[in-house]
Formats: sequence, structure tokens, C-alpha cells
Amino acid sequence: MQDHSMSSLFDRLTSLFRSKPRLKPAELQAAFRSHYKEFRSLLTANNNALELMAEMEQVLSGGHSFGMAFIRGNCTALSVNVYKMIQHLNRLADGRYAELGQPFRDVTRQLEQVIANRPVTTEGIAILPMAEVDARMVDQVGEKMANLGEVRNRLGLRTPDGFVMTAVAAQNFMEANDLQVEIIRRLKGLDLDNLEDLYTVSAGIQALIANAPLPKELEGAILAHHQQLVTDTESELLVALRSSAIGEDSSNVSFAGQYRTQLNVSREFVCQAYKEIVAGKYKSQAIVYRQQRGFRHQDVHMCVGCLRMVDAAVSGVLYSRAPDDPRSRFVMIQAAPGLASHVVDGSAATEQFMVSRTAPYGILDFQSGAGQADGAVDSVPTLTSVQAAELAEVGVRLEEHFGTPQDVEWSIDQAGLLYILQSRPLGRPAVVESLLSGGHGSKEDGLPPPLLAGGVCASRGVGCGPVFTVRSSLDLLRFPKGAVLVVETPYPDWASLLDRASAVISETGQMAAHLATVAREFGIPAIFGMNQALTSLDNHSLVTVDATAGRVYGGRVESLLALAPPRPNLMVGSPVYKILVAAMEHITPLNLTDPASPFFRPDSCQTLHDLTRFCHEKAVVEMFKFGERYGFDDKAAKQLVVDAPSQWWVIDLDNGFRSDFDPESRYVDLGHIVSVPMLAIWQGMTAFPWAGPPPVSLRGFGSIIFQSTRNPGLDPGVRSAMAAKNYFLISKNFCNLSVRLGYHFALVEANLGEFLTENYVNFQFKGGAADENRRLLRIRLICDILTEFGFRVEQKADAMTARIEKKPGSFLLERLKILGYLIIHTRQIDMIMGDEGMIAQYRQKIMTDLQTFLEKPETPEMEE
Amino acid sequence: MNTGLNILLIDDEFDFVETTCKRLIRRGYSARTALTCAEGLTIIESGWPNIVVLDVMLPDRDGMDFLREIKGKWPSLPVILLTGHASMQAGLHGLDCGASDYCLKPIDLETLVEKMAIAHRESCQQGA
Repeated sequence: MQDHSMSSLFDRLTSLFRSKPRLKPAELQAAFRSHYKEFRSLLTANNNALELMAEMEQVLSGGHSFGMAFIRGNCTALSVNVYKMIQHLNRLADGRYAELGQPFRDVTRQLEQVIANRPVTTEGIAILPMAEVDARMVDQVGEKMANLGEVRNRLGLRTPDGFVMTAVAAQNFMEANDLQVEIIRRLKGLDLDNLEDLYTVSAGIQALIANAPLPKELEGAILAHHQQLVTDTESELLVALRSSAIGEDSSNVSFAGQYRTQLNVSREFVCQAYKEIVAGKYKSQAIVYRQQRGFRHQDVHMCVGCLRMVDAAVSGVLYSRAPDDPRSRFVMIQAAPGLASHVVDGSAATEQFMVSRTAPYGILDFQSGAGQADGAVDSVPTLTSVQAAELAEVGVRLEEHFGTPQDVEWSIDQAGLLYILQSRPLGRPAVVESLLSGGHGSKEDGLPPPLLAGGVCASRGVGCGPVFTVRSSLDLLRFPKGAVLVVETPYPDWASLLDRASAVISETGQMAAHLATVAREFGIPAIFGMNQALTSLDNHSLVTVDATAGRVYGGRVESLLALAPPRPNLMVGSPVYKILVAAMEHITPLNLTDPASPFFRPDSCQTLHDLTRFCHEKAVVEMFKFGERYGFDDKAAKQLVVDAPSQWWVIDLDNGFRSDFDPESRYVDLGHIVSVPMLAIWQGMTAFPWAGPPPVSLRGFGSIIFQSTRNPGLDPGVRSAMAAKNYFLISKNFCNLSVRLGYHFALVEANLGEFLTENYVNFQFKGGAADENRRLLRIRLICDILTEFGFRVEQKADAMTARIEKKPGSFLLERLKILGYLIIHTRQIDMIMGDEGMIAQYRQKIMTDLQTFLEKPETPEMEE
Repeated sequence: MNTGLNILLIDDEFDFVETTCKRLIRRGYSARTALTCAEGLTIIESGWPNIVVLDVMLPDRDGMDFLREIKGKWPSLPVILLTGHASMQAGLHGLDCGASDYCLKPIDLETLVEKMAIAHRESCQQGA
């Protein structure tokens, strides 16, 4: 995100040592401490702001649906954090950056105007015909109906005719009867742990809604649209009413399977069925789910699709890949005579077809339903080979369009026409695609031995997190975000945990269990039927769950987790998408790239990113300039001693040295340093000897640096010995390291606080080798490596930034060791960057070395 | 576990505030709730809370106005604003009035707990 020019920091550093008036070390320390507090708060706000920007960029680049609430919420949170940075900087600098107020007001005013432009189009419309619905209308019709509209209108596949009663319709209905007030009253004081109470209140509210009259206007409109579906030929029109909720999650993950569908509804019952489905919003599980996550019930809207019933000859479910095998080269089709619901609820003996995914879509395997229906004689399959081929082709097309394997409900009517009733994601597709293309699983090279293997894949993908065993509803409330849910039985009750879980492991259960469906819908990897999961997995221990392969590994297995390319974005072009694009123009572009430039000043800030960039840079500089203003003497910078004095200098901001350190000393021994992030970086820097000829000891390592800095001829950028000093600016939990090693600048900044919110690692690198091509190759190699280790990387020409935030300290310490290693060991490699073979060889060596950091348990103790 | 945090939640959404309060107590925090500013004020006057989470829209009084009163009388008592309706103006105005943070519902309990702990820590250091 940021593109520090390291040179300005060094210019500042050299100026530090000019002035001579002095402050006593104790006074200095106290003053430093109060400044450091502001500095730390500023860093936390910076961390939050950069994370929010990354989240918004990620949403734009694909995968998730989002609504105005997401945009409004993120813009607000972002501006609040940038404002906090400005406040902290001003306190840090005794108000010398008051001019930032103007550009900040300008940017936020523009941003507010963009957000105030509410999307027009269909807002305010109570009923929308299916012919007008597509994926961009998530905010009006809910995800289920938006996807069905997409299938119909953008893919051109046949879906039942019908219409959607939108969020506006539901709101009109609730408001006309003033239901919300009464519902809130009834929910007041409800004890979620008292299940009996919960069910009573839930049933009461559902009855209240189902018995309230529809507004005349709405009733008339529903019946009028219904009338338009009637054709001359049929005796009676029957419809299906399907729920399609919106607003339950910023990423619009619907609460799968919790709401109702009503089939074979005749005209006289359409309005009643509609009300009952709207009432389904208050099913007990849905109440618990919302309440726990702080959603307001009135912000969740129940849209309902009214679709003509297909007079089905045969129906079923289609998985564009086998649910338990993402590498499958076939489409799996389950079929039974009659309605699709018979297959879904398992009440019919179904036949199963495995059909090739490529033309001419031949049937590879067929299993009759005889296994279930006792004594059934061999009969003709329900699907002809032509029908099976048509279904397979459609399945593949749906998967391609939505960018993820699909779980499709379908019917073929008496005339032989295929209808798609619903299409939704089957699992976590990105992982599947990588696994397929990467050939993973067949080789499995580099993977550690699994802790557990077996079970069935209930939902594909790879997840990582600490094990958390859930046995009771009390555990349910304690479940930490990002943990791996381990249970004995996949009860539907656990469904409310799934959007917080990173993976699910159950000792029992099958892929058809309700919890499996929800896991697939949420994209959470799940393994069911995994024996001894409860006894073999230690609570709170970190594991990586590869549900695709049915394996559980100890620790974090990056090579498995890294397999996640983005999904296509179906929101492109929608009004909400356009608003986000317009808002981003005032947020992410970075105009202030060079702190040494005369234009690096408040009135040049045009975006929120500029403002964060400016505040961060100035805050770091202020921490140095502080010394200048208060008579900071050159003793503040201590020369680091490792066996012998090195060419590394350390400035302690706050508790970075052991308490018995003598502040008058010009030197600091490595043993006196207690800065957790600094020690991790140092460990990475020194874990492996510099491999270039000649191999050198730790002392020699220092001398090589010393020599390169002593000989300006090696590096035209070095202006003086002073400017070439390498500084650690540290506290107990913070480290800012500026390095100039011969040919490149690097900056590592990290904070490992008490709270995840404060944690981050930031790395900047600017290559300075002679040949631009080699320079770029080196940068790209570093980008690749860091991406593999979970960094968010940005590269512009020969400069790169890599960042991770809000991860646990142990994870970040590993990353710091990696950065320490790279700072030292990438020095040599730009020399060999012309040679493909050598690049591969070095890459291999680097990766091998780096893996050891992940496995070594010996990390510095974190502060409690 | 004694976390040292005495949390006062002022919010008229009874179900949300009660659930949150219960969950905080289960995690070892001391937490109390108030459904109106007047109720909240009484608890603050008792000297009990060392952090306040305040909804911006309350039935008896404007939340911002109440925030100003709190920060006027108890400048070192950190107040976090928590609202269901995102507004940039309100957020920035809230910070100007002395709020430690401005957060939006829905919010994860973990996130809220961290924000409270950080705000509390900062207020302690101010006093030191």
C-alpha cells in the first residue's frame, strides 16, 4: 500500500546528530514515553485504515456480493480511523499539522456526496418479474432469486416464469401493520439459552406475522402478477414460493436452509403462503444467529420468489463436481420421478449418474435406486442419455459462469423441457481449481505427515485455525472467530457457528447432513465421519484442515492455504458497484509516494490513502525529530554489540532495553535487547550464514556490511558513512528497522501488541542494482515468496510493499524472521538474476531455509 | 479472570444489549446495562464504570449531547460510540466530542472487547 522512500528517513537521521543541547536520560525517557503512546495509537489507526482499504479493494476484485451497508460502513470506519491518525499526529507534533484538517474535510465531503447517491433503478419497487432480475439486484431480491435471475437472463437457461416480492414488499407489509414494534417488544428480555422460551416466542411472532393482513395495494399487485402467469391451457396454476433473505451479512451469505419453501400453492393461498415465508425470518435459529452477531432484525429483509410449478416428469439435484471429490472429471446427477424436493429431502429412491464434463457428455457410471428401494427390479433409467448430456452441459456452464462448482436443483417437464430451479455454490471452488491445475494430491510433495486422515469431505477447501471443541450451547457462545469447529455429531444447531469457523470436523455424519449443506454454502471446509477427532486433536492447538483430501495437519500449512485464486465478480456494472468504484477514487489512489519530494505536504493529499501515508511518514519522522527538538544526544543511538561492535544502531523508544541497561553506555549488547519484534528480525538475519563466497561467520557478516558501507564506490547512493547507518527504532513490542545494504533499501516495521487490532508487519523494499531487468526479477522473486507466506504484496516498478495485519504474535514473529532472512540473503541474488536455472536454485534454497522458521518452536516470549 | 474492566453498555436495543452484557460477563468482564441516558448517568455518577459503550440514538436524549456531558464531567472516562447507522459526519463529530472510537453494528464481540481494552489502556496512561 505504501511506498516509503527510505532516503528521507536517512536524511532525517543524519540531522539528528547535529544539535547538541541535552536532556537527562530519565527526562528524555518520560517524554519519549508520552510521545510513544500517541505514536502507538496512530499506528493502530493506520493498521485499521489500511485493512479497511484492502477489504474494499478485495470486494471490488471479485467473489462477494455487497450492498450499500458495506460501502457506507467501511467509508465511515475508514474516515474515523484517518481522522484519529490526524489527531494523534498533531498531538505528537504539538499541533504542527493542523493544515491536514482542510484536505481531510475536502476528501470526506466528496466521499459523502458519492455515498449519498443512492442507487436508483429498482429501489421502491415491490414486485419484480423474473425477466428483469439478475445478480446485480441482490439488494432488492436476495441472493437466491438474484442468482436464479442471472441463470435466466444472463445465461439464457430456462427457469420457471414468475416474479419476486422484493424487500420493499416485505417492508410495506410489516409497516402497514406496525408489526416491528410488537416484535421487538416480544423479543425483549428473551433468554437465548432458554430453548423453551425461545421456541414459544418464535412461534408467537411467526403467528403474528402470518395472521396480519396484507396491504390491499400489495395484495392486488401480487395477484395481478400471478394472473399474468396463467395460460389458457392449464386447468389450475400452481406456484412455488421460495424465500430469499437479504441483509444478514455484509457479504450476503444467506443462512442456508433455515427458511421455508412452499410448493404447489394455488391462487387462493398465494398471499397466505407469502406471509408465512416472511414470518420464517423469525424461526428460532435465525433469531439466535442474528442476535449473536448484532444484526438488527428490522435490517434483514425476506424477499420471496413466486415461481410457476414445473409439471415435472423427472427431477433432481446436479453437482457440477462430485461433492466429495473436487477433482472429479464428471458431473454428478441424482434423479427421481416427480418433484425435485423428493430428491432433496431424501424421500425418493434416487438414481445416480456420473456424466463426463466434456462433450459428448457420456454417462460414465450409473447406480439405480435399488440399493434403497427394496427388491426393485432392474428398470429403465429415469434419464435418457440425451437428457443426462444436456444436464451435464448445463452444469458445466453454470460452474463456469459463477466461477465455482454448483449445486443445482432441476426439473424436466412432461414435454421434456429442462428447468433450472436453483443454482448455488457447492463448496470453496478456488481451492478446487488450484488443486486440479496444480496436480496437488497426486504428488503431495512437501506436506508434513497428517495428524488424522479419513472421513468424508462434506465441504471442500482448506482452512486453518485453533481447534475448538463444542459439546454444549455454552461452548457455542464461547466459540472464537477463526477456530476449527470440532464436534461429535453435526447437529443443525451448530450452523450458527459456521460463519465464524475456519473449518469443521465431525466424528460422525454424512455429506447430506444439514450442517454440511450450510458449510458448503458458507464455503467452510468440512470433514465428517472422521474417527477420533475429539480425542486426537488438542483443544486450542493450531491445525490445517484439508477437507478436500480428508486430512488434518498440525500447524499452519501455507502451501495448502495459498491455493485460492479470486472468483469472478457478478456485481460489475450494478449501481452499488458503481458507487463503490466512485468512492474508491477518493480512497485508494496514492499520490504522495516520495517523502523527499517538495510536494509531500498536507495540501497535496487528495485521498484517504494519501492522508494515511502522510500521517504515518510524519509520525515516524516525529519520533526521530523529537530528539532534535529536546536535545536528543547521539548517545540515544546505541551501537549494537554482538561479540564485537556491529554496524547496527538501536534507539530505544520505550522498554526496548533490559532495565539493568546503563543508559550512559554507547553500546548495547544483544542480550540487553528485549524488543520482541527486533529479536525475531535479528534471528532471521543471522540464522543462516551469508551463503555467497566466502562463507562468513556472524562477525564476518558484520564486516561485510561494514566494508560495503565504507566503500562508497560500491554504492553511488551512499552519501556519507552516517547516512549508511542501519537503525533499529524499538520498544518492547515495536520495531522499525531501516536498512541500506549496499544496493537496496529495506524497511521493516512491526508491532506485536496485546491485541490483534494493533498487530502488523510492514515491509518495504526498493532495489538499487545496476540493471533494471535484474532488479525487477529480484523484486518479483521477493513478491512471490512473501505472497506464499501470506503477505499482501504490492509492486510498483522496482519498489514493493508487503503487509500483514491483525494476526497473532506467533504468526507475525515467523514472518519477521522471514523478512530478516530476506533482507540479508537477497543481497547476493540480484547478481545471478539473469540465469533462470540459478533463480530456481536460489528460490529453492530460500524456501527451504525459510521453512525452518515455521517449524522451529523457539520464538521469543510474547508480553502477556 | 479479573480483567479490570467495568463496562457500561448504554443502548435501547434491549435484546442486543442484554446478550452482549451476558457474553461479556461470561468472559470475565464486569458489565452493566442501561436503556436510557438517564439510567446510564446514574451508574456513571456512582463511579462504577471505567469504560462506556454508548449508542448514538437513544430514546430520552441525543447520544452526542450525552457524550459531551460525560466527557465534560469525567474527561478521563473513555466512551466508545456504537451505532447501527453508519454516518461519517456523526463518526467524526463523535471523535471531536471526545469519543475514543466510533464503531458500527454488527460488531464481533472480540473486536469490541479489543477496542474497549485499548481505549481503557489509553485512558490509564493519560492519567499516569
